[in-house]
Amino acid sequence: MTNPTITFGMPDLAARLDSCRPEELDSLDFGVIGFDADTNVDLYNAFESQAAGLSQQRVVGQPLFTNVAPCLNNFMVAQRFEDAQDDGSTLDDTIDYVLTLRMRPVKVALRLLASPGGAHRYVLVQRQPR
Amino acid sequence: MSRDLDQLGAEYEALIQFLYLAPVGLVQADSHGEIAMMNPISAQLLMPLSRDGSLDNLFTALQDVAPELRVLCDTFGAPSGKVCDGMHVHLNAGGIAGSAKRVPQILSITLLKLDATRLMAVISDVTEQVRRERQLRQSDAWLNAILTGITDYALVSIDWQGRICEWNPSIERVTGHGPDIVGQPFSVFYAPDAIIPEHLFDRLREADSNGWTLDEGRRLRADGSAFWGSVLIAPLPDREPLPGEDPGPAYCLILRDISDKREASERRRRETFADYLTGLANRRAFFEAAEQELLRSQALPRPTAVVVIDADHFKAINDRHGHPGGDAVLQHLAAILTSTFREVDVVARIGGEEFAVLLPSTDLARAAVVAERLRAAVASQNAIIDGLAVRFTVSAGVAASIDGSGGVDLLLKQADQALYAAKRAGRNRVERWRPELVSCTTHDHAHHPGEDADAA
Repeated sequence: MTNPTITFGMPDLAARLDSCRPEELDSLDFGVIGFDADTNVDLYNAFESQAAGLSQQRVVGQPLFTNVAPCLNNFMVAQRFEDAQDDGSTLDDTIDYVLTLRMRPVKVALRLLASPGGAHRYVLVQRQPR
Repeated sequence: MSRDLDQLGAEYEALIQFLYLAPVGLVQADSHGEIAMMNPISAQLLMPLSRDGSLDNLFTALQDVAPELRVLCDTFGAPSGKVCDGMHVHLNAGGIAGSAKRVPQILSITLLKLDATRLMAVISDVTEQVRRERQLRQSDAWLNAILTGITDYALVSIDWQGRICEWNPSIERVTGHGPDIVGQPFSVFYAPDAIIPEHLFDRLREADSNGWTLDEGRRLRADGSAFWGSVLIAPLPDREPLPGEDPGPAYCLILRDISDKREASERRRRETFADYLTGLANRRAFFEAAEQELLRSQALPRPTAVVVIDADHFKAINDRHGHPGGDAVLQHLAAILTSTFREVDVVARIGGEEFAVLLPSTDLARAAVVAERLRAAVASQNAIIDGLAVRFTVSAGVAASIDGSGGVDLLLKQADQALYAAKRAGRNRVERWRPELVSCTTHDHAHHPGEDADAA
């Protein structure tokens, strides 16, 4: 059962996600990783949990770029969030990336979302057809 | 059954997380480089290098920075083994131009051929490591330049016990010592009676607590010839030996030949610390040396002795021969004092005709023996005043502290009480301090040195 009203590419997605209940996040057909100002993961939806093979309990509360997804800890992703935080600017960009889900390289689209007033920062993950 | 599956699931998840978090990049590929499995650090390090945003092929991902990898694998003849081991790959500018953030500059790649169809790669960011190694090489080069290029320094590494660890040419240049100096304590640079083993440890302890220690004075070369040298000792960083490892160098000692600067430093020393008439140490030098020595002897318990010496009937000599005659007697006495005591002892003129000697690491009995030798030497050698032989004698009081407690004031007071006892017992005598002497009145150093005791 997926939620048809929220899609990976829609505008103003961060605000929509901020107001979602956990069950709603779990019904989405793309991965949602939300994290706080200290980069600790505070949202991890079912889709992402299933894809990565990690339960929410193992992930929530952990620092994203070192303990959850070190593959994102470079200038292409982590640096973008850091810069946006330093500048107090809004980040909304979609990039092609490769995640190593269960050690398999998987081509994905990542949507990076951060805004100064937002409740969470987000990395959203959508699988791409190979 | 479901219990077993749960168990298996939990173990699988733990294993997955272990691989996710492994702090090095791990990649498994086929013989053409097509990636079958990889962990996140691999993606972290390789994604910025990928031209097309994919990580399908290891050789393709690395083609811009390590084009030789594919060839190395293709030409690797053995059925299995290491194709390359810790190969350093220098990345181009790396990351966003102008970004202050640290980005990988150098990757280390190890490639293992498992069999005809499988390769395993370990990839890690060694930027910091290479930078540190470079700094280390630079300091090595810097040290080398010092060791080989500068002529008046000897650089010596010494261990916890003050023993010389290694020989190098700078040691030979300054001191003439060859490699057989290794294992000897650094007191080998000092005249035999100019340093005692305890002082060696004092210096090391001083270096420990202050970060360095420096002293200056007469030093000896291997052939016994003397030069004026300064010795600086500083503790080395990271000197704790690993368990089971032999303790290595713990301090760095720099010995400089400053003979050409000796005159200036000697003059400065004389002005501050020497008695103008006799050239011996003055009161200030004596008290400073005594305080320091007693403080040290508290840290490393050992006895310290003080001998107080007073010329007998000096007033009469002055009356008969005048002050110039009196001065000549004092200079004569100073010369005997210097030749009687060790170089490590501090011989000082602390009053008009009163002298004090500090004897480090010496107990009461040994100090009394030396004092007696002095008394006998003075009694047997005439001073010459205006061509006339003048016979005179001295009295001496000896006191010692077992462990430095009580300080220099108490020690000097006890030596004075012993001196007073020697005077009362008829002069030309040496007396040791003993508790019964406490009640004896003595003169007061600060105001009436010498004269009172003689008159008493």
